[in-house]
Amino acid sequence: VSGLCIAIPNGALLDGACALLRAAGIADVRPERFDLGLLVEVGGNRLVKVRPTDVPVYVEMGAADCGIVGKDILWEAHRDGYELLDLRFGECRLVLAAPEGAPLARGEWPPSLRVATKYPHAARRFFDRINVAAELIKLHGSVELAPATGLADAVLDITATGRTLRANRLVEVADAGRSTARLIVNQASLKTRTVAVNSLAAALRRAVDGAAPAEGAA
Amino acid sequence: MQDVSAIDGAGAPRGRAGGFSDWLPGVAGRRRTVADTMLSTFEAWGYGLVATPLIEPLDTVAAGLSPGRQSQLFRFMDADGSLLALVGERTVSVARVVATQLREGPFPLRLCYCGPVLRNQALLGGRRREALQAGCELIGAAGLGADAECVALAAEALERAGLTGVQIDVGHADFLPGLLEGAGLDEPARERVLAALSGRDLVAVEEALELTPVGEAERALLLRFPALRGGRDILDAAAQGLRGERPRRALDDLARLWELLQAHGLGDSVQLDLGAVRDWDYYTGPTFELFSSDLGFPLGAGGRYDSLLGRLGLAKPATGFVLHVDRCCDAVLRRGPVAVAEPPVMLRVSHAPGVEATAITIVRRLREAGRSVVRILEPSDTPARGADLHVCAAGGVRWRAGNDWREAGVDDVVALYAVPTQRSVVRRRVTSTNAGRRL
Repeated sequence: VSGLCIAIPNGALLDGACALLRAAGIADVRPERFDLGLLVEVGGNRLVKVRPTDVPVYVEMGAADCGIVGKDILWEAHRDGYELLDLRFGECRLVLAAPEGAPLARGEWPPSLRVATKYPHAARRFFDRINVAAELIKLHGSVELAPATGLADAVLDITATGRTLRANRLVEVADAGRSTARLIVNQASLKTRTVAVNSLAAALRRAVDGAAPAEGAA
Repeated sequence: MQDVSAIDGAGAPRGRAGGFSDWLPGVAGRRRTVADTMLSTFEAWGYGLVATPLIEPLDTVAAGLSPGRQSQLFRFMDADGSLLALVGERTVSVARVVATQLREGPFPLRLCYCGPVLRNQALLGGRRREALQAGCELIGAAGLGADAECVALAAEALERAGLTGVQIDVGHADFLPGLLEGAGLDEPARERVLAALSGRDLVAVEEALELTPVGEAERALLLRFPALRGGRDILDAAAQGLRGERPRRALDDLARLWELLQAHGLGDSVQLDLGAVRDWDYYTGPTFELFSSDLGFPLGAGGRYDSLLGRLGLAKPATGFVLHVDRCCDAVLRRGPVAVAEPPVMLRVSHAPGVEATAITIVRRLREAGRSVVRILEPSDTPARGADLHVCAAGGVRWRAGNDWREAGVDDVVALYAVPTQRSVVRRRVTSTNAGRRL
């Protein structure tokens, strides 16, 4: 494997991404390696550490040949590249949650529903599928505050352990999706750097099938 | 330093609409050269130029676009309330012309076009909303010779525009649908798998196959195909274990097409891609995409679309392709100076007071002799700053030889400059960057 530019996300998936690249023998890299610079050259490849939502942008525009990113980010991203592999770490679920004691928490759906979410595209698809006319409010963080402040009746958000939901007295009402880390590839890189991309994917697949890295869950 | 606080102020309305580009002198010329080179290649292969409107009825425009792209049209209302759109691609427009005004043929009909297409997509994605597209349509020819001609013509047009070493990916629109049908998948399951394939989501392909009743061996076989790319030998590998006539026919097509592309001299640049699924309800046979290693997007794409003209009322087989001129231009500029024709070397001519008429005559004769000439408007007694030629009060012409100036008669000077010499090319190479500042 050589000569590829790989975008990896900072935040919750960084440890898992580094562990997987090490396990696959692609790059001997640890998260601290990026403390001095966000672009490092290791094992003949270039790694760039960017915000999770920027990983698909780098890959789509061809600035990076491939990237590691959570499926939850891909739900919201414009996409022209290939989603090649489920890397099976960083697992979390997208759930609809309502405050304890609200009718919705008992499974009684109100005629109109205001939902705060960081995932409007996924939310739109989910509510269309279950035929609920929900009004979506797009937030950029701390979605769990929305019901307590009266901003929304419920939230649609990702959760790994359910701890944040419980701490905010929110009850899961419905499962809307499941997310894990994925390998995405630029369409032109797949065609013009076939050998490098294929061997990268094969090495990652072997590492994933061998032993999924334990850490890195959101 | 610039006044950065301007982002808060009202300011004069001097911006562009987002996603649209201005092309400055030099770069705009290079872009036109790229487009002209493509069109002259098309015409050398016998394709006649047609021009179609920028605006078409919404229904017409939509017929050539996937649902995702249909939602990205600039649309508006005609005076009678009917819906119009700015064209998002031009194949359907050409097909409409053929199905109406050219329906008598003679077939096969070879047509080419070049024009802008528009796409009303989200801003700030780094994508253009207006793009120049040049393309060819070969209508009324069903054989694989026609498909090979389109691939070869697209490759030649790119090469002549300065893009050598292009990678061509050839697939077949009928292979995977046929394979899924042969494997016994029902209609909804096939749709799910094809949607995942056309979304290039191989993880979803795997998940969609989990939900189907196919056996483990067949699942492994199916999962091989999306990633199955390579040379002629992958066709034999793919043929093993296939069920049904449809996928076999597709493989036979690709084998024959491979031979024809060898004959066209494209052996090294072609890869077969059995996992290619592009807009599967539009393409009906061989499809292809063209890539350059220095650009993250395809330079062009094409394929056979035998059912489109039927929908427009004239059942004819058809194949064709489109080249993305702006992306090609990006790639050309990225490669630096390349073998596209440089703009003609420009001469600057000044003149002494009182001999403006002579200067105008000389400039006209130089232009007739094929030179690009700027006439410096203000008269001056000696050669003006930056001038190559100076028309003297006595009627003779001073011309620059290195750092010296020499004088000669009008006819001699015109003859001297009629053909660009190597010396003057070196001195005044017009590059994309400095031309903009000079003009």
